[in-house]
Amino acid sequence: MKGLIKILSRYVISATAVAIFLLVINFILLVAITVKSGSTTLKKESVQELTKNLIKVDDEYRLPDDFTTTLIQNDQWAMLLNEEGSVVWSLNLPSDISLQYSLSQVAGFSRWYLNDYPVYVWQHSDGLFVWGHPRHSVWKYSVSIPQQFMNRSPFYTISLFVANVIAALVLALLLGLRLFRSLKLLTKGIYQLTQKQPVTLSTQGLLGDVAKVINQTSEKLINQEEALSKRDSARTTWIAGISHDIRTPLSIAMGYSSQLENDLELTLAKREQAETIRKQCELIKTLVNDLNLASKLEYDMQPFHFEVILLAPFLRNIAVDFLNSKSSDLHSLDVCIDETAQNISANADRVLLSRAVSNLITNSVRHNKDGCHIRLSLKCDSFNCSIEVADNGIGFTKEMLHTLNHEKASVELNTHGLGLTLVRQIIKAHKGYTRFQNQLEGGCMITLCLPLHESSHL
Amino acid sequence: MNTIHDCKLLIIDDEPTLLKMVIDLLKQNGFYKIFSASNCKEARTQFYATKPDAILLDVSLPDGDGFSLMREFRSHSIVPVLFLSARDEDEDRLLGLGLGADDYITKPFLPRELILRIHAVLNRTYFPLILNQEEKPVFTLGALTIDFNNATITSEKGCDTLTAKEFALLWKLYENKEKIVSGDSLCQAAWGDTLYGYENTLMVHIRRLREKIEPEPSNPRFLLTIRGIGYKLTGGETLERSN
Repeated sequence: MKGLIKILSRYVISATAVAIFLLVINFILLVAITVKSGSTTLKKESVQELTKNLIKVDDEYRLPDDFTTTLIQNDQWAMLLNEEGSVVWSLNLPSDISLQYSLSQVAGFSRWYLNDYPVYVWQHSDGLFVWGHPRHSVWKYSVSIPQQFMNRSPFYTISLFVANVIAALVLALLLGLRLFRSLKLLTKGIYQLTQKQPVTLSTQGLLGDVAKVINQTSEKLINQEEALSKRDSARTTWIAGISHDIRTPLSIAMGYSSQLENDLELTLAKREQAETIRKQCELIKTLVNDLNLASKLEYDMQPFHFEVILLAPFLRNIAVDFLNSKSSDLHSLDVCIDETAQNISANADRVLLSRAVSNLITNSVRHNKDGCHIRLSLKCDSFNCSIEVADNGIGFTKEMLHTLNHEKASVELNTHGLGLTLVRQIIKAHKGYTRFQNQLEGGCMITLCLPLHESSHL
Repeated sequence: MNTIHDCKLLIIDDEPTLLKMVIDLLKQNGFYKIFSASNCKEARTQFYATKPDAILLDVSLPDGDGFSLMREFRSHSIVPVLFLSARDEDEDRLLGLGLGADDYITKPFLPRELILRIHAVLNRTYFPLILNQEEKPVFTLGALTIDFNNATITSEKGCDTLTAKEFALLWKLYENKEKIVSGDSLCQAAWGDTLYGYENTLMVHIRRLREKIEPEPSNPRFLLTIRGIGYKLTGGETLERSN
């Protein structure tokens, strides 16, 4: 909306500027033309000049030769009337010009025309000097303006200018508002597009074509979105269905293998084989659960139950659970909580976050069969905390590190199963990120960075 | 009914192999009154005919669902019901437990776990620990005898008593003996809070406790420190009750 108001104000300002510019140009042109045409022959000074140069010499009136030549060349004429109205001198006088004039005739032509000849008069010491121009060469109009009006003319000029500017402004604003309304609809449409909402704009008016294209784009986007979500949902449902169907046969396999494992009538070797089957069944169980959760996380279909979790006790509990349930002494674990991180909390899904950390511990155990030491650490800065799970085992291969640290490789099975992919997905769903790295002194370290809960901001 | 093994169990599942496996498992574990059904219709017949003491019920059945079936059974009796289901969604588990089921076990399950859960439910329902509920255990730790009934520690040297906090800590450790208990759980037991702010207090109380129960407090044998995590009580032995 801000952008639109900017566009509108710029439009109004430029339209007004154009109007003012036109006014100024017109004014300048008018003045220039008036001055130029006026300066040719119609100057008062000319008739005055002629009158002054008509001099009586030896009872005869004479006009200097250069004036005479100019007058004749321009097809102009001149005469001098005495006080009785008789022509006492003339030059190039047309034949239809009378030689005697009454007072009323003089009054008439002094301001207008004499026999359609435009004339200018000036007072001569011996009478009235008359300067005639060819017919239709000059348009004469006498203007009378009240003195009061002339006195206030500067005010009127300024008012006229201001009125023009206001008119231009109002017109620009009205036209601009029309444009603004169309643009507003379009902007709303584009915003709805970004929100993946269906858009149906009116295709009438100034920007109808653009609206039409936006409508079409919206339709395409909605169709694509529907197709995508249908596909995602089908995939997740399929995986959920498979994992559901696999549970019953797996229960049977686990049940019988477990019974055989405890059957003292069997030989030890047979019982160990049964144990292997049971353990493999448990692996399949984990894999099925992981696959199900991973697909739900991938397609945003996993419900989250966020709560504020105090991280230090949370990590110690995970450590306790691991230590209390581990079957061999090959693997050890300790917890190291930074002094500043003793009382920090994060908004998290307890079950999922616990699963992420436990997955990392299980991963260290599974890939370091000969044993390793695992360290759980908790650190924090002003707004984020990091949970580190490090071990002194074999570490990751280069390829694995690359795959794990690059988002693109989403749900995929590698030698680590889905465990680490799940960790990354869970942390991502908590608006955090995961970093996998090898330690210089050997072993690997996985860092889970999470935003701190507001109450823990330092 | 003398023991839980005398209970009549009704197992309802539409998968015959699984049904057989569970029945075998139960028989191996001493149950002998086992009835089965593979759909809702059969289940109703068996339920009214046998009046089972516990029901193990699958959620998905060919002619109905376990949730409705449980509602129906519960309107006639308060028989304990354990769901055994391949549906592991939170909603399903919450629905089952919300309806009043005694347990909700998801497939695949460990046979041992199934048996333990059935035992727990049957014990709770038919053999509750009403006898001497008030009596707390007495246990030995090396040459010491600790009696939780009067919070006393008896040794060759004489008799010592536990303070309230020492008792709370030792009781928590005893409940989880041979297992690590986090510092947070101990603080929760003694002060109703997490470890934060109580680190030193906890250490002081543990030291005093060691002075009372360890022959060499600086080199503990029974009450071990698990660095950064918590403590563990080990080596103790509970004495059988005389009555």
